[in-house]
Amino acid sequence: MTMIAPDPVAPDPKVDRALTRRRWLGRLRGGSTGRPVWRQPIAVVALTILGGWLLVAILAPLVAPYDPLAQSADTYAAPSAAHWFGTDSLGRDIFSRVVYGARLSIPLALAIVSLALLVGGLLGLVAGYLGRLADEALMRLTDLVFAFPQIILAMAVTAAFGPNTRNAVLALVIVSWPVYARVIRSAVLSMRGDDYLNAARLLGVGPVRALRRDVLPNSIGPAIVLATLELGNAVLLLAALSFLGLGPRPPAAEWGSMVALGSQDLSMWWVSVFPGLAILTVVMAFNVLGDALRDRLDPRYAKGR
Amino acid sequence: MSVSPRRLRTGALALATLAVISTTACTAGGSGGNANSGEAKTLTVNTSFVLKTLDPGRVYEATGLTAVHALYDTLLTFEGSDVGKPVPALAESYDASPDAKTFTFKLRSGVTFADGSPLTADDVVFSLNRLKNIKGSPAVTVSELSVSKTDDSTVVVTSATPNPNVPVVLAMPSTGVLNAEVARDNGAKDGADAAQGDTAQQYLDTNSIGSGPYVLKSYEPESQVVLEANPNYWGDKPQFERVVLRNMDVQTQKLTMQRAETAEISLDISGKLLDGLPESLQTSGVQDTVYFLFLNADPAVSAVTANPKFNQALRAAIDYQGIAALYGEGAAPGAGLVAPAFPGTLPASEASTRDVAKAKALLAEAGLTDPTVKFNYPAITYKGVDLGTVATKVQGDAAEAGITLELNPQPLTTFLDEMRSGKSPLGFTPQSLNYPVADSLINNMAPGQATALRSGWTVERADPAIVAAGEKVTETLDLAARATAMQEWQRLMNQSSPYIVLASNSSTVVATADLTGADYSAAGWQVDVAAVGLR
Repeated sequence: MTMIAPDPVAPDPKVDRALTRRRWLGRLRGGSTGRPVWRQPIAVVALTILGGWLLVAILAPLVAPYDPLAQSADTYAAPSAAHWFGTDSLGRDIFSRVVYGARLSIPLALAIVSLALLVGGLLGLVAGYLGRLADEALMRLTDLVFAFPQIILAMAVTAAFGPNTRNAVLALVIVSWPVYARVIRSAVLSMRGDDYLNAARLLGVGPVRALRRDVLPNSIGPAIVLATLELGNAVLLLAALSFLGLGPRPPAAEWGSMVALGSQDLSMWWVSVFPGLAILTVVMAFNVLGDALRDRLDPRYAKGR
Repeated sequence: MSVSPRRLRTGALALATLAVISTTACTAGGSGGNANSGEAKTLTVNTSFVLKTLDPGRVYEATGLTAVHALYDTLLTFEGSDVGKPVPALAESYDASPDAKTFTFKLRSGVTFADGSPLTADDVVFSLNRLKNIKGSPAVTVSELSVSKTDDSTVVVTSATPNPNVPVVLAMPSTGVLNAEVARDNGAKDGADAAQGDTAQQYLDTNSIGSGPYVLKSYEPESQVVLEANPNYWGDKPQFERVVLRNMDVQTQKLTMQRAETAEISLDISGKLLDGLPESLQTSGVQDTVYFLFLNADPAVSAVTANPKFNQALRAAIDYQGIAALYGEGAAPGAGLVAPAFPGTLPASEASTRDVAKAKALLAEAGLTDPTVKFNYPAITYKGVDLGTVATKVQGDAAEAGITLELNPQPLTTFLDEMRSGKSPLGFTPQSLNYPVADSLINNMAPGQATALRSGWTVERADPAIVAAGEKVTETLDLAARATAMQEWQRLMNQSSPYIVLASNSSTVVATADLTGADYSAAGWQVDVAAVGLR
């Protein structure tokens, strides 16, 4: 008698896609009930502000009337037609510096959050999917980081590595990845044993492919919401570090260090108020946007539905 | 998830809002103001405490010096803001030998300590020997001196090397005279082994045993030090019954002084912080601090900074007037290493000036195109001025001449470590004198001396004329001639030394309008609280 080896079943892409339910994307578009995120007035305002800041950052050389580093004899000039936001102790134009500050703060915040999402996301996936020892070890590591107040740990790391932009970003990634690891891990845990995953496995889908095609798309939603919220936090933490002299080196036009410079002499209010307002608007916009996304994606926060 | 997004968001918003409103919110703060209530007159002195001890033999910090000067008398002293000529205190007169080695002090008669016991030559000898032998921080000023008495009212101080400034040293608060008997009873030693045996500091921190115009009432090094008038004081009684030294950060001092009406002094509001104070307040300041750049003269550390042409070019590139303006009121563009408060300073007319064209020409001559140097400075605020702002200004000035300076702000300890190791190519630091004599600059900053070597400035790398000019200062015993020699030394230093003096600024005493005698003194004690009175 001849043994007939069963044919290896090649995963059928159509089946694979059908089994995968990108639940979060559907909700983002409004699902079957509410309005999509981009129809909520408050979110539109936030998006507009952020879009405006992005434009300002990209077009900084066109928007800024002066070189942000150019010093002049016109020190501590109050806001006027020549200097919309006034000048600082070295006669630098604060409007130009705030504009160029967007080129630092926003890309750096994006870098911090994407790196943290990448590192935290990968570790969370691994922890959730593998379980057992890997899970235990990684979660205790996140506990370790959570045990410190974020800013204190970030300060310690930057101070130890030496204060500059790269180390400030690294420090902030180190303090912020665990949140994403936790979120992704819990999402992965919640879908372990789901039918479509079992189906995929029965069809011979390997773990890497399953993680990439099925698990990741379904768990990334909450992490994206969190990342949006965290963008504001990253802008703020970065500003806090440079306020303390641990961020980008002077004379870089960084909002936090500009606030610090102004805080030395409170009677010249414009030196710190304008960069402070820049921080405020960006942080608020990211938070409002993140909130709107979460209201949409997380049923626990859904209002009146 | 253990961190809720909502909480994160709230925290983030609160912080962002804080960043914006901090500038305005502070004007609503401030503390309780003055506790004067008519009868017992109290003088309040606000200062950011730098206070480790009130033991005269060990005191070295600003706040301690202010208090110790009021608690203990010295042989000589300075009046008001003048630190040029010591005046009699415990000694009613003194004689100096022509070789500037022997100084004979005649003690005033009838002086008693606060406890009523008489002050004799033995107390003076004990106190000065103790200062020298316990080897605390201030001992360096008396390490070459020895003391003896010829009778109960005559003390002879001899110096191992000629030193015309011994009278100035003997006006410093650390040379204050203690009641020897009480001191010994509480563990004080004055012998050669006193560094190990002396255990009196704890007692002296909380008790004063001097003959000064005030006695110590309470000592709380974190919050306040209270002095009360000495009922047995031998001289004119101070006008204020009580003096309270309060620990207060500088921004709060400014807010407090804006509301203060009577008998209140602040010691740390200086530089730009003086802007915006009410006109009714009086200020007194003396330029006693210089700020300078140091370039490393060792080609192994930096071939650029060791190049004499680069040194000259950087000197010419700097906008000294503009830097002085950053320091605010009471600052002046750099002239020489000796601050204007002290004998031997260069006149303001010799302040350095800017010449960008010359700087560029020098760089071209040296064949240096776009020289780049790391520029270290301590990330601190000193006397009301953020050193980072000044460093950024220097960077901007240098850039106009084609020199690139890479700013490298460092925590103070890191900065000092790197400076001491001699590895800083270019650095920036303030300098104040420990006592009002500029000789120590020669001892430290002349070629081959300790501080100079940190910038790689050996005798071989220096202009021989500078070495000779430095020796001339030390050899000159007449004080007026010495000051002139000091000026000559600075002029040569300004040509080729590793030091570029940027500016000098003053410490300032800010006082309410009703006070008299609230004069800043560069002698170390900042203000003589016993000399402060009401109009």
